[in-house]
Amino acid sequence: MSTSPVAPAPVDAIGRSASPRAKRHPDAFRRQQARLGWALSAPALVVVAGVTIFPIAYAIAMSLSNVTATGNGFSLSGLTGSNYSIMVQAPQWRYALFFTILYTVITVAVEVALGTGIALVLERLAAGRGWMMALLLVPWSMITVINAELWLYIYNPVYGVLDNIFSHIGLGTPVILGTRVPAIAALMVADVWKTTPFVAIIVLAGLVMIPRDYYEAAEVDGATGWQAFWKVTLPQLRPTIALAVLFRVLQAFGLFDLPFVLTSGGPGYSTQPLAVLAYNAMFRDLDFGPGAAVATSTALLVVVGCVAFIKVFRAQAGTEA
Amino acid sequence: MRNRSRRGWRRVFNGVNLATLLVFLFIVTPLYWMITAAFKTPSNVEVSPPQYFPHPLSVANFTDAFSHYSFGRYIVNSAVVAVVSTALVLVLGTLAGYAMGRLPMRGRFTVLVLLLMISVFPEIAVVVPLYALLRDIGWLNSYQALIIPYTAFFLPFAIWILRNYFMAVPREMEESARIDGASPLRTIWSVVLPQTLPGLFTAGVFTFTACWTEFLMALSFNVSESYRTIPVGVALFGGQFITSYGDIFAASVVAVVPIAVLVFIFRRNVVSGLTAGAVKG
Amino acid sequence: MKTAHQTGRRRRSMQAAVVCAVAAFAAAACSSSSSPSTSASAPGASATSSASGNAASGNITWWASPITTTSPDPRVVLINAFEKAYPKIHVTLQSAPTDTDTNRASLITTISGGASSPDVFMGDVIWPAQFGKAGLASSLSQYLPSSYWSNFAPGLVQGATYNGQVYGAPFFEDQGFLYYRKDLLAKEHLPVPTTWEQLESDAVKIKNAGLTKYGYVWQGASYEGLTCNFMEYLGSAGGTVLNSDMNKSVLDSAAGVKAATFMRSLITSGATPAAVTTFQEGQAMSAFATGQAAFLRNWDYGWSYSQTKSSPSSVVGDVGVMPLPSFQGQPSPGTSNIGGWNLYVNPHSKNTAADITFIKWMTSPAAQTILATQFSEIPTVTSVRNSAAVKAKNPVLAIVGQTRLIPRPAQTPQYAKVSQAIYTNINSMLSGATSPSAAVSAAASQINSAVKTSGL
Repeated sequence: MSTSPVAPAPVDAIGRSASPRAKRHPDAFRRQQARLGWALSAPALVVVAGVTIFPIAYAIAMSLSNVTATGNGFSLSGLTGSNYSIMVQAPQWRYALFFTILYTVITVAVEVALGTGIALVLERLAAGRGWMMALLLVPWSMITVINAELWLYIYNPVYGVLDNIFSHIGLGTPVILGTRVPAIAALMVADVWKTTPFVAIIVLAGLVMIPRDYYEAAEVDGATGWQAFWKVTLPQLRPTIALAVLFRVLQAFGLFDLPFVLTSGGPGYSTQPLAVLAYNAMFRDLDFGPGAAVATSTALLVVVGCVAFIKVFRAQAGTEA
Repeated sequence: MRNRSRRGWRRVFNGVNLATLLVFLFIVTPLYWMITAAFKTPSNVEVSPPQYFPHPLSVANFTDAFSHYSFGRYIVNSAVVAVVSTALVLVLGTLAGYAMGRLPMRGRFTVLVLLLMISVFPEIAVVVPLYALLRDIGWLNSYQALIIPYTAFFLPFAIWILRNYFMAVPREMEESARIDGASPLRTIWSVVLPQTLPGLFTAGVFTFTACWTEFLMALSFNVSESYRTIPVGVALFGGQFITSYGDIFAASVVAVVPIAVLVFIFRRNVVSGLTAGAVKG
Repeated sequence: MKTAHQTGRRRRSMQAAVVCAVAAFAAAACSSSSSPSTSASAPGASATSSASGNAASGNITWWASPITTTSPDPRVVLINAFEKAYPKIHVTLQSAPTDTDTNRASLITTISGGASSPDVFMGDVIWPAQFGKAGLASSLSQYLPSSYWSNFAPGLVQGATYNGQVYGAPFFEDQGFLYYRKDLLAKEHLPVPTTWEQLESDAVKIKNAGLTKYGYVWQGASYEGLTCNFMEYLGSAGGTVLNSDMNKSVLDSAAGVKAATFMRSLITSGATPAAVTTFQEGQAMSAFATGQAAFLRNWDYGWSYSQTKSSPSSVVGDVGVMPLPSFQGQPSPGTSNIGGWNLYVNPHSKNTAADITFIKWMTSPAAQTILATQFSEIPTVTSVRNSAAVKAKNPVLAIVGQTRLIPRPAQTPQYAKVSQAIYTNINSMLSGATSPSAAVSAAASQINSAVKTSGL
């Protein structure tokens, strides 16, 4: 048993091992390990596939045919790209795409920066960390609909506290949710408040797993606090932050509850992201075909983005290892 | 705490404390607003200018939530669904996460990306076909109507998280366990898992919270009063033109308590996981 | 040691198992959506038994959102009274979401998924065309004779008709009223305004005198309620949205521009706060009831809300209510938009006889009187509306017969898009981003493309 851990066995981003043992009897060992892997994964995969494949396939089928809602279900007829062409030509969709991307970029950037900062602070906290962690999880564990109601209550122009504060400091009573840019900003603030703890927790869990010996080694080399942060903490945190960014981007693209309750996509459709557009198309206008097209294309966009992200990340991790 | 901090860098200490205070204020201020609204009398909730502290204090909103609406029932339903789903997700996710993080499975990357795609697909589009599916099996208005979909939809996320933590565990420990003749399951249970408790905790809390707060599927599948979960139940508070903020916030305060308690309980695991990992060999 | 062949076979068998499971699910689901609905029994057979509505028995579910927020619950009271009258029928209440859009989405999921429950649902008055076209509600004309429909106040049945078939039975009605502060008018020695122009100047006067923070509040947020408000000004100016065939917009007219211009001028003159672009019913009601506004346009609940101290309300005893005013030179009073709820039948319901019995009872004078006298809802049956007991209940019910009603253009299945064209453009105009005439013509062209094609 080694007494002082060396750098972890080299692995790439998806964990392919290069350890000596595996190299000695490659084929038989690998196959046995692979079979074991599939056996262990099978229960999870069966559950996921069983529940999700049919609905998703059906939704994709809906997006590619003419759908009419009847009392007996849906009647899908024909194979057509007309739903997609309707979608691409609709100014509402183009704006929703722009808004969703803008929203994702800004909120994820802010949350990752803030979340990492909070995680760093928490990690250094000796006493009361447990209390702070419990507190951190409170906004995140709130039901999104309730969070939206809370901020609706805060932004209310008649009895909301924010306008009250603004009037006391001489800013008048701005109509926050009724004007485009303030409404977008208000939405972002509500989201940042609620989900920064999510990022902070993920980053914190990654932080505490950094072996202390790295820091000891850095000290021995005479590194200051800041240098240790840049040279030890951040690189070790990279996979964790990447994971946090990945999942936040996924969540942000599916943004629904918050704008649905806070602004209903308004004023006009200036705070309408893709998911709300799909919902309105399907359940308000009963345009299931175009609505399914929006949903499917959104999922596709995000997947492409994430795959690209992972490839870049792997390439970077590969060059550093 | 790392030794270098204990060398007495007072600036670091003060910086940390100040930062902690800022974080505290950031989190607490909107929460304060919600909690005080819950304790205002119903008629003071929408008074203008708003009261910065409830005057008089009142628990009318809380009693209203439980008596006028069956909030207690909703809590039980949410708890059952969330606990069972989280347990399932953790068990299945640990096995799959370990397999995909450690074992040389060909096509594993494809599967991971597929899982990603599934977790990303907008819920709205799948709710209607899923509803028809559940209706055919006869599982509408039951606990399993939510448990199975929740497990399926939240597994990909948990697998990704757990896999990440499994990959960060040094291989030497597993290999020495293998030399000692331990079966894979035993290796996972006694060697790998204790090191990745923070990851389990993270995945568990996230799954629990996701189940606790999920709205769209709960609204569509469990319409009947006896199986309704909290988010759907709260959606019923008030009237067509009247939003009972007081009732909603009172219910929210109550709904948040279990999670806060959970985290507080499990924080010890995180700490012990920390210290165990720090002392190796 | 297993060979590669056996390993591969095991993986393939696992894959096969997954495929089989998926195929099984797909087969089950597909068969349900393609097989004819077995619950829709032959219309002929049920028509005879349910036309009389007496031989029905069984269990039915009623989907309804909360009608009031206070105890007792009117839905429970009505169910109990119904079961006393028809002991063989048992009704289970399913409480629906309070938000009408969430309610609709939930119903669409349920019914298009083929569920036979709920049997009867309480739905918004603007749903008949949309639901009728998509087969999400049964036509009631096949079960109920025309003598039944003539019991209702004029305009209500028309609003529930699509393609010559009536889909909803008017359950209780709502309309816009003008609430005003008697005490403030008296203080400023102003008579009760009879025209919009007069109201505007009164509101400005009272606000400038420092008696209230706002003059006149209404619903101007970007949502369905704005369409209701706009229809009232439009109707008073003599205009409509769609032609009688429901396939072309006639909104871009002198009346349309006049209505839009007036709404904008309310803000620019200071009578209405700029914040009205975020007001839904809740905010406007709250502002008026806490004494911050002199005039309010709201639905019928405004009376009971403002007269109940715990709402919160600080204006108990100071409020008057009247039909909405009209424009100078136009017929008086102004038009009030029709709101309210209808009762619909699920096409998959297994017990249409009991459903029709339930609906007939809920729209009978007995039930309507309960709704009006115990819960202050506006009844839909003419005889009940005109009865002395109901009229004496509160000032709102007393003046219901004096108002002029205007429906929203909901007879087109594309109504959701029509309404959206109206409220997004009018809201944008109210915030000053576009001019009234530009907003009206943009709305008109969007309406035209909505009723002609389907799309996003």
